[in-house]
Amino acid sequence: MKGPFRFQWSQPRPALAWRVGLAWIILFLCALPLQGEQISSQGDSILERSHRFLTLSDESVRMVLLGTILMGLSCGVMGGLVVTRRLSLFGDTLSHAVLPGVAVGFLWSQSKDSWAILVGATVAGFLGVALISLLRKTSRIRQDSALGLVLSGFYALGICMLTRIQKMEFGNQSGIDKYLFGQVVGLSSSDLWTMAFSCLLILTLTILLYKELLVAGFDSEYARSIGRPVDFLQYLLWLLLAFAVITSLQVVGVVLVSALLVIPAATASLITDKMRAILIWSAMLGCMAGATGAFLSFLGNQLPTGPIIVLVSAVFFLWALFFHPQNGLFFKWLAARNRNQRISLENTLKAVYQELESINFQKETTSVSQLAKRRRIGMPQAHRETDALVARQYATIHPVEDKLAAPPRPTLLSLTPKGWGTACRIVRNHRLWELYLTNEARYAPDHVHDDAEKIEHVLGEETVRRIERILSNPKKDPHGKLIPSQQDIDRGFIA
Amino acid sequence: MNPTDSKPLEIHDLTVAYHRKPVLYGIDLEIAEGTLTGIIGPNGAGKSTLIKAIMGMIPSNGGWIKIFGKPAKKSFARVGYVPQRESVDWDFPVSVLDVVLMGRYGHVGWLRRVGKKDRSIACECLEKVNMLPFADRQIGKLSGGQQQRVFLARALAQESDLYLMDEPLAGVDAVTEKTIIELLRDLKNQGKTLLVVHHDLSTAKEYFDQLILLNMRLVAVGEVEKTFTRDLLQKTYGGRLTIFTEVAGQSAGVKEYDKETDSS
Amino acid sequence: MSANRQTKEPFIPDFDPIDTFVTPWSTHADIAWNGQIVTMGILVSLACGLVGSFIVVRKLALMGDAISHGILPGLALAFIIMQSWALFPMFFGACVAGLSCSFCIEWLQKKSILKPDAALGVTFTTFFAFGVLLIAMYGGNAHIDAECLLYGEIGLIPLAENLSLAGIDLGARPIVSMFVVTILVIISVTVFYRQLLVSSFDFTLAKTLGLPVTLIHYGLMLLLALTIVSSFEAVGVILVISMLIFPSVTAVFFFSRMPAILFCSLPLSFVYSFGGFFLARWLDCSIAGAMVLVASVCFALGWAFGPNGGLAWQLLDRLNDKPGNKNARSEGCAVEGQ
Repeated sequence: MKGPFRFQWSQPRPALAWRVGLAWIILFLCALPLQGEQISSQGDSILERSHRFLTLSDESVRMVLLGTILMGLSCGVMGGLVVTRRLSLFGDTLSHAVLPGVAVGFLWSQSKDSWAILVGATVAGFLGVALISLLRKTSRIRQDSALGLVLSGFYALGICMLTRIQKMEFGNQSGIDKYLFGQVVGLSSSDLWTMAFSCLLILTLTILLYKELLVAGFDSEYARSIGRPVDFLQYLLWLLLAFAVITSLQVVGVVLVSALLVIPAATASLITDKMRAILIWSAMLGCMAGATGAFLSFLGNQLPTGPIIVLVSAVFFLWALFFHPQNGLFFKWLAARNRNQRISLENTLKAVYQELESINFQKETTSVSQLAKRRRIGMPQAHRETDALVARQYATIHPVEDKLAAPPRPTLLSLTPKGWGTACRIVRNHRLWELYLTNEARYAPDHVHDDAEKIEHVLGEETVRRIERILSNPKKDPHGKLIPSQQDIDRGFIA
Repeated sequence: MNPTDSKPLEIHDLTVAYHRKPVLYGIDLEIAEGTLTGIIGPNGAGKSTLIKAIMGMIPSNGGWIKIFGKPAKKSFARVGYVPQRESVDWDFPVSVLDVVLMGRYGHVGWLRRVGKKDRSIACECLEKVNMLPFADRQIGKLSGGQQQRVFLARALAQESDLYLMDEPLAGVDAVTEKTIIELLRDLKNQGKTLLVVHHDLSTAKEYFDQLILLNMRLVAVGEVEKTFTRDLLQKTYGGRLTIFTEVAGQSAGVKEYDKETDSS
Repeated sequence: MSANRQTKEPFIPDFDPIDTFVTPWSTHADIAWNGQIVTMGILVSLACGLVGSFIVVRKLALMGDAISHGILPGLALAFIIMQSWALFPMFFGACVAGLSCSFCIEWLQKKSILKPDAALGVTFTTFFAFGVLLIAMYGGNAHIDAECLLYGEIGLIPLAENLSLAGIDLGARPIVSMFVVTILVIISVTVFYRQLLVSSFDFTLAKTLGLPVTLIHYGLMLLLALTIVSSFEAVGVILVISMLIFPSVTAVFFFSRMPAILFCSLPLSFVYSFGGFFLARWLDCSIAGAMVLVASVCFALGWAFGPNGGLAWQLLDRLNDKPGNKNARSEGCAVEGQ
């Protein structure tokens, strides 16, 4: 894993620990302002509350933590399977589609019996998925429209049923809110059992059927040809997805479940491109987000856990997006900026060389105004470029009067040995490449300049040696100009 | 070689239709063991359909198919299929080695993991197609020819007796093409049976021992010398494709008849 | 609406035709009240149906879903800052949030290695979570009813304050703003019809014809955001997507040309609104939910019986083409013999 930096990020674990630590610190600091509003009711300070949480002394803390971790695991693993198959939005649809099932389960058991709701929601989820495939097969409706139809249609049915239930004898406000927004506080042990069951089922089946899921996701035709039942595996996936969704409903609510299916898995896909690693990372990120979210919402009083968990996982996502060593956008931007700076410096050096060449190396200095003319830029720009050269010790400036420049700035510059070396190399690269193109690739002499302008910055030393060998150590380029040799570079001047 | 009385492939009166359109009619075919057979025909002639029907992936509307004496669904273990690359998700997070290991799944079974022996077989197969250095690379980060070689390695890892390949040489570079053909010949010499859909008329005669000329119905089956004739090719490709007729004629080594002076 | 929670009600109430269909229109006050509700429903369906037809054709249905979730933080912030449901801050905040959500999605799709659907999923859920958090933290003591946001309460629209312009009382604020947006949508769709059509069906052709495709895209997104923002009070953030998608996918089973499909939004909007109103009156449930249920039923009817690809007609076609029938075509056979 080579990058423009000297660190070597070797294994996931040290990087993970570093990231976890940093993320916790940042999130903890972010949580502090939340305190201002909410601290009054319990009368504890932040430290006391943290202590209560971290020592797991409250039973409710233990239940919530367990619930969020189970949820993180289930959604992380299922998310990994779903996102890699480009089915992210199916997760969203499924999470909305289970709502009528929840209502039916509720009605049937006349109470908030978790198992009845699990069954009802699974059936509803399946119906939704079956309807989507049916729509796709029998009509010209596209996938995204079909998803939207089922998502909103089932959701509306669920809302109608739930608002109806509210008006019935046993229905009450909190029962329904719980499923729309999640309410960790109300987690009962029976809820935790269903969650544990779902989680265990998901993990077991994923591990046992890992390679079947792999081949069916990658190449379904081939999978069929070796006798793996692709359709059955697909239905199994839906089933497990429904379980993951239902597990998370009570913690984050209907709408935010899809966030937990997609975000940790998306983060994992930014970090690695191997399936096993994606699943593991995704599960770990899900758990961490769950636990951290639970902690933060505990610190602030009466903060809804669901959105905080989602936002925590979004922070992880942004972190991976920008700061991943290989693919991170921040590092790519930095590398591009460094590259552009280098190219700009090299172009300036080349111009200085060409100026000196134009007077046959009689003098060792040239003026900034001449540089500006050759580079066809304005004086302020020329001064900036000169200053950049000086800062990198490629050149030095001599204070001398020059009528063309704005007083009192010094305007003559000469190259240091380091600057001279780089300038010669760039000019050599440029002219060698032009010669190579004209001789070996039969380009016309007036076609080679633009290409050489780009290539000169990226030609490596070994390639230069090879070209010199092919062209038999030439002295002049297609336009008759001298190609600086290694001796010229070492000597510090052109003989 | 498996001592068996039944031929690798027998097809009787196969008819396949997509929705209302018939794609294959009345196909009768027998392939002998240890042969390298090419299937050629114009676009839409049903070549891919034939392969898929043999694999049991498309239902047939008539006739039967037997692979080593058994129906297709019972013969998974002995058939290796190299499909066209359409159903593949190139961004899927699998490496080259993962893909070749998929060829061993038939041997490993459902709930077990892939073992050391399977891994070493997979590496050998990668070596045969010159792709071992790329074992760790994600499958999408390869050229078309390299991908095709990986799929071939996967088929090799299956250690099947009958191989069905759908245009394995389409869109590959010259080096890959050579590698693949050499491998196919190797397999044939080991006694395997190969049935390959081929897209390029100009090389059909050179690569295969037997040819099947297909245009929704079987135009001809047999040794390359007997089937690769101008007349049969014209019948397969239809009179409207005169360029093909020319190429076919040249490939078949027959001079162009001058229409005015032709008296036969 | 019955608010009696103490009597033991069955899940499906008895159906009383008089109570459902006639009573709402019996007194003046009732007509004014319910008329406003139904009008709002019609306007919402119409505007969403028109904009949605183009959204569906451009395969942006889920982008519509994303935007409708993405406006939440904007609404919350506008409310928190202004401490009231003032019209312009709300619109402004929601539009900014919605458009920035769409922009973030497209940026992610371009700049990162994420697949398009994952980029969508990550962005709008984050925006939505942020909105929910804001509401929970700062909206608790001001009258934001979170459920109202999620599935709307069209029944409360007439309660909203009236807008007046130059001393003339225009009516309830949501209805007025919805009316304005609907007119805007109708005008945009008519005036820019050809540009929208070409850029939707053949992007490359549109570019070669010199159409400003990016501008058209963002214009459509803006129209979408406006429509969503003005509709959410009626149907909530989540059900807007159904109002966007259902009309055109239902119409497709009857017509195949765009002008006809667009026109279908008008009769369908009446059906959805009145149907939803009466259904909700009977079942005593959320009106928005009922509207979507009616829309689903219309869709199911179209899917089953629509002449342009409906299931019944497909079945009929297949029965007509049994083997041995002359209808079976056989193209592309080789020329027999020489």
